[in-house]
Amino acid sequence: MTGYVIRRVVWGIALLIIVCALTFLLFRIIPTGNPAVLRAGRDPQPQLIKEIERVLGLDKSLPTQFWDYIKGVFLHFNFGYSYYSQQSVLSLIRERLPATLSLTLGAAVVWMVAGLSIGIISALKRRTFWDRASMGTALVLISAPEFWLGLLALLLFSNDIGKLHLFPGAGSYVGLTADPLKWFTSLIMPWCVLAAGSAAVFARLMRGSMIETMDEDYIRTARAKGLPERRVIRQGVRSSINPIVTLLALEVGVLLGGAVLIEYVFNIPGVGLLAYHSIVQSDFEVIQGTVLLASMFIIIANIAADIGYAYLDPRVRYS
Amino acid sequence: MRSIRTVAAIAIVAALAVVLAACGSSSKTSSSGSGSGSSGSISTGGFQSPTTQSLTGGKKGGTLQVLDETDFEHIDPGIAYYSLDYEVVFATQRPLYSNKPNTASVASPDMASGPPEISSDNKTVTVKLREGIKFSPPVNREVTSADVAYAIERGANPNVANPYFHAYWDSLEGALKAKGGAISGISTPDKHTIVFKLIEPKAQLVANAMVMPLTAAVPKEYAEKFDNHKPSDYGNFQVATGPYMFKNDSSGKVLGTGYFPGKSATLVRNPNWTASSDIRPAYLDEIAIKIGGTNSVIGKQVLEGTNIVENEPPAQSNVRLAAEKYKSQLEISPGAGSHYIGVNNVHGPFKNENLRKAFWAALNRTAMDKARGGKLVTDVMTHFIYPTIPGFEEAGGLKGPTGPKFDFNEHPEGSATVAAKYMKLAGYPSGKYTGNETLSIVGAKGNPAEQDAEIVNQTLKNLGFQTKFTLVETATMYAKYCNVPKEEIDVCPSIGWIADFGDPQTVLDITFNGKFINATGNVNWGQTNNPKINAAMTAAENVTGTAARAAAWGKIDEEIVEIAAAVPFDWDKQANIEGSGVKGVGDLWDVGEWDYSWTSLK
Repeated sequence: MTGYVIRRVVWGIALLIIVCALTFLLFRIIPTGNPAVLRAGRDPQPQLIKEIERVLGLDKSLPTQFWDYIKGVFLHFNFGYSYYSQQSVLSLIRERLPATLSLTLGAAVVWMVAGLSIGIISALKRRTFWDRASMGTALVLISAPEFWLGLLALLLFSNDIGKLHLFPGAGSYVGLTADPLKWFTSLIMPWCVLAAGSAAVFARLMRGSMIETMDEDYIRTARAKGLPERRVIRQGVRSSINPIVTLLALEVGVLLGGAVLIEYVFNIPGVGLLAYHSIVQSDFEVIQGTVLLASMFIIIANIAADIGYAYLDPRVRYS
Repeated sequence: MRSIRTVAAIAIVAALAVVLAACGSSSKTSSSGSGSGSSGSISTGGFQSPTTQSLTGGKKGGTLQVLDETDFEHIDPGIAYYSLDYEVVFATQRPLYSNKPNTASVASPDMASGPPEISSDNKTVTVKLREGIKFSPPVNREVTSADVAYAIERGANPNVANPYFHAYWDSLEGALKAKGGAISGISTPDKHTIVFKLIEPKAQLVANAMVMPLTAAVPKEYAEKFDNHKPSDYGNFQVATGPYMFKNDSSGKVLGTGYFPGKSATLVRNPNWTASSDIRPAYLDEIAIKIGGTNSVIGKQVLEGTNIVENEPPAQSNVRLAAEKYKSQLEISPGAGSHYIGVNNVHGPFKNENLRKAFWAALNRTAMDKARGGKLVTDVMTHFIYPTIPGFEEAGGLKGPTGPKFDFNEHPEGSATVAAKYMKLAGYPSGKYTGNETLSIVGAKGNPAEQDAEIVNQTLKNLGFQTKFTLVETATMYAKYCNVPKEEIDVCPSIGWIADFGDPQTVLDITFNGKFINATGNVNWGQTNNPKINAAMTAAENVTGTAARAAAWGKIDEEIVEIAAAVPFDWDKQANIEGSGVKGVGDLWDVGEWDYSWTSLK
């Protein structure tokens, strides 16, 4: 088991370096990506561009720049500085991480509770109006882009521009420690919108899995033996949920990707919004920092899932 | 299997980052300027406008809420170059001269105590400064001429790298070799006098450029340590001379106190500012800026809000909504720049001047302007100096140059007959292009630029051209295609221009003078290199006096139209929106952006 864990961690670190290299290269080869040119104004004289490149450290060869960056990240935990505000990337991320965690963790809870419950109820009430309505809604939510859903939610339910003044609107987010009640109410809409797509997918998966399980022989036997229906269902849920749980780690990436859009629509000052602004401004160091952070989360979630899986099923460790 | 899933999940994040990068072309406009007196014929649809707004009688006090989709690029007055940055820079800093909100070409003394004195040989500019103006805390001392000298000198410091230093200050003695130290052409004979010695007779341009924020005083003993950082972080510790300052701590630190990048900024009153020394009334007590969100939501929040304004151009849907339901909350500012089509003068079919004229004649400019929002926010462009810039009227005003030589310019909805005439003159008797060259067209994605590009493509096809039509993100269009002459793009239909300040040279020189053709970052998109026009521009650069410069550059504008060096289609009018409790004052010289030093609450 120890050897397996070490292998997963080493692979995780290697993957982080690969992500680092890819991000580094991507944002340096795309045509708009030279911040020195962007900074040099409308008549960018070559001399001025060279000077700015020197100041920003962009005059060094790409491998040297990459080596400096990797050294900074892995040896000193230094992710560099924003080209624009000159603030350290780490402090920029640290400032914004609580908002992103609030958003994604809350959405994960909504998505799991709503998705799984709806899936189970639909499976148990198969072919009823409730089943058809919930699966139809799920299909709509899967198909609807989060950006559009967010705008729709604001126009319908926000207390400033909505038709029904129910929840705080865009730009209303405050930190948990500043005002817990306001924190909670400001995140209700973002949580629901971010969770909607995933909840719908999981509701459909759970329904399918549950229907299959409830048709198994052992469920019929349990019923035949006179086990109360509640206990039969509990047994069915436990068996159906296993394949779904294995998809959770992958869903972390989807959630983080969605968080960028949701933070943008609802103006939540999180890491996603930071990533968006840095991409718009070609602020390389911040882009790299945010992508690296997101990758780190996904890798950690996957390693945790791998280890958990290996713990539950020893065959995995040897495959 | 597990590893593949991990990679897939990371790929989602990375791909999203790339997609956003592609979408992230900055829609910001470059720093603006415009002129005065020549916008009277421009209709603003009866909506409030910087040309007609009242500058007096505002109520004192209150906090203005500002919603801003994008962050500032630079808040350091020595680096700031975009209209959005100017909103905070001009509320906190006092350059030597500045424009009142309702003018772009008439500069008022700001840090200066009177107009600049220009020597008879046009090579020396002397400026006297006001006495008793103080820096904000923690510096708290009086501003002297040495502070203005340092502000300009630091522009040449590579750590600061002011984006327009070389465009306007290169004629200063010693400027070409300057790296941030003393410049021999700047002297300060006393605490309140600064003298600029030039190596070329360009005093008028230098004097006009003194409205840019590079001339806002910076205290050397305080700022130098920040300027030694690579890059300079003086912006995060800046001190103010204007009526407002970024909220700071006792050490002067703005970052994390009054400015949270990507989140918010707070301007408070500068305790060392005195109203008697300034032309700005500074009614507001505080300006609270919230950064982030989407334009379409922000616009609605503003229209339905009270003490609130939107900092950026609103979404087209919100402009329409404001024009219909919130009339008193909409401002229309003329002179917000121009859009035209770059056509390659040195490569491909459009080397032929008559083909360029045929294209101009055939183009339905009215349809293109409709895509941009119609008459409310556009006027059909007929020449290159735009409304409010001196020289606009001299070049023909709204109608543009007229007469037989300019018949291709007289049909905003396009004329097949005139187009056919020029096709024939170009050597195509059928009135259709029969050559074998394919035109490469590179336009910008996203409406209205995309719709405009489609119209251009269709017009060229109707004239018989084969086209290779490509749409890319705006930033890519400039950086990879249209700004790079070796790419030999024939038509760039999504080009736009805004002047740095109210001087016609800043509209025409860099964009049509052959000496400014660069291998990269080239903004003479057509690579126009006409010896007669080049010579006229070189002569006009040295002309002094607003009227004389307007006449000289107006004439050049006419000559540019005469050779159809580019094909114009839209003079922009900028829409801006405010909440019902705001008496907003927009800056004509800054594409109508709200001026916090003149805006008040009702």
